[in-house]
Amino acid sequence: MSDTTRSQNLGSKLQSLPRQWLYLILIICAAVPLFFSVAIPDQPDASSIDFFANVMSLKPGDRVLVGTDWTNGTRAESGGEMEALLRILIRKGVKFAVYSTGDPQAPQVFRDTMERVNDEEAKAGSRKYERFNDYVVCGYFPNSEGTNRNINDNVLQAFAGRMDHTEGGPPTDVRQSPVFQGVSSLSDFKMLILVTPSNTDTITLERVKKTKLLFMVTGVMVPTDQTYYASGQLKGLCGGIKGVFDIETLMRTGLAQGQSSKWGAIPGFPDKPNAGRATKYYLALHACLTLLIVAVIVGNVGMVLSKKVAR
Amino acid sequence: MLDLIAQTDPKTLWNGPNNSAYLITMIVIALVVGFGAMFGLMAAPARLRLPIVGVVTFISGFYYVLLWLYPAPIDRSPANAPRGPFEAASFWLADAQPIATTLANTIAGFLLGLGIYSLLRIHLRKIAKQQQDWGYSFVLVLSLIAMTLFGYWDWIIRQSPAGSSLTYAPGPDWRLPQFGRDLLFDGVLQQMDAAMFSLIAFFILSAAYRAFRARSVEATVLLGAALIMILSLLTAVDYGWNMLVERVAGDNPNSLIQNFQLTVMANWVKETLQNSSIRGLDFGVGIGLLAMGLRLWLSLEKIGGEA
Repeated sequence: MSDTTRSQNLGSKLQSLPRQWLYLILIICAAVPLFFSVAIPDQPDASSIDFFANVMSLKPGDRVLVGTDWTNGTRAESGGEMEALLRILIRKGVKFAVYSTGDPQAPQVFRDTMERVNDEEAKAGSRKYERFNDYVVCGYFPNSEGTNRNINDNVLQAFAGRMDHTEGGPPTDVRQSPVFQGVSSLSDFKMLILVTPSNTDTITLERVKKTKLLFMVTGVMVPTDQTYYASGQLKGLCGGIKGVFDIETLMRTGLAQGQSSKWGAIPGFPDKPNAGRATKYYLALHACLTLLIVAVIVGNVGMVLSKKVAR
Repeated sequence: MLDLIAQTDPKTLWNGPNNSAYLITMIVIALVVGFGAMFGLMAAPARLRLPIVGVVTFISGFYYVLLWLYPAPIDRSPANAPRGPFEAASFWLADAQPIATTLANTIAGFLLGLGIYSLLRIHLRKIAKQQQDWGYSFVLVLSLIAMTLFGYWDWIIRQSPAGSSLTYAPGPDWRLPQFGRDLLFDGVLQQMDAAMFSLIAFFILSAAYRAFRARSVEATVLLGAALIMILSLLTAVDYGWNMLVERVAGDNPNSLIQNFQLTVMANWVKETLQNSSIRGLDFGVGIGLLAMGLRLWLSLEKIGGEA
């Protein structure tokens, strides 16, 4: 076989690898690293540092609003984000009200997550959070635009008629919860933290003005939300698995003096378990993205070889 | 259900004391008026329906346009009274907002009912006539009924004081409704949701392998930018690369070489190229949305320029 024919064959072969093999390699890349625990170095992004520093600035008894619009479709990213957020809020003793304008399943997915994280935190020595007294679930609102505008203008009216209950108690108006005590305006909440994989990020950003906004979004949403972070409309942004990995790293190590030009040293929680989904999945993400790069290189080498021969 | 509605304070036109004749009367009136309006619209001649829908759309949109453009009250306390008609209008617009939002939420809730009705009508007919693939329709209807049944059964139990202490993870107090809901919601629906979403990884890999080629200068620039961004997500690579650059640059923080740190390059791509491009796109999309919103609000989308 001549060199030309061999190159042509190799070029076309490299461009037409069987799809099944690619899929099999992807499954291996995504699954096998889950069985290994490897310490990966991290240099947190500025947006993640701002997110962490803002949440860590909360004091015991402070109130925040948490928007939750994710379900298990994005649990690798949004689930990790919500778990990291809940761990910080519980450890800091912050009270929070939860609502969703993105997905009717979201409040139940949140309840499941909260119950699990609450149990884990209690085992790690944190105070067990009480439903209704420390956090309250205000449910799902189908009209995201109107609800967000209402939350901004009249937060108590926005949640009027929504019920939640203490353990062993009857359903009660959420505004009677200690979370809402002393709240008359949205500015009484220190910040609104939205965990979303959908377009409720821009809907919220366009309408909520009276308190700080911090977003936890999926990786594909980072480019869009990066513009709002760069303009200062968002005070912190945690994006995708990299963002959660940054937060989990900061929870473990804290923020060192000089690590950020905006913030001083912020201690983390070195004596608590901080490794969450991102720490568990990050090696798998490395393997999958490396496979993606290799696949693109292989395809391009194949194209170059084929072109060379054609000339 | 009445108990839940009646707990909302303050008592207004929209709620009332628990089990009171007032509350029941208001619910009956609301149902009669709602169904009357719906059947009235259905019975209206076709040429009349469009103007009715147009007027309702215009009034609904006009409220939000006013809310956006009209000066809003600043630092208003509940004790404040308006000092003239101009301020009264401002107060009225602000006070009506929760009601408008609740109405919109309620209408969106009705849409869910309409969706279920439509779904059942199509699939029950398919099952009854045993049309092609009627088995799938049967599974769909069965799933819908099972999820509704176990979902509400469990929810009703959890509304009682005894039920409110039930955990969402399996526990000794769990009975059939809890196991049923858990199996259907967490065991099936949520897992299928995750499985569907994970398929994207296969499509992305396949598409990147087959289509991401450096065929032109533009495609090569795109490929290079994508490579920098992907590599910057791999913090192990990022860390090693940056260490190497720092070593080459020596102790000089102002060395030109420092610009070739992966983090610096990725940030430059994000802040210089990506942000400005997305802002440009957003401006374009915003103007398009404004134009589309105006056409929908003024019903020009349906009746064109002839109105």
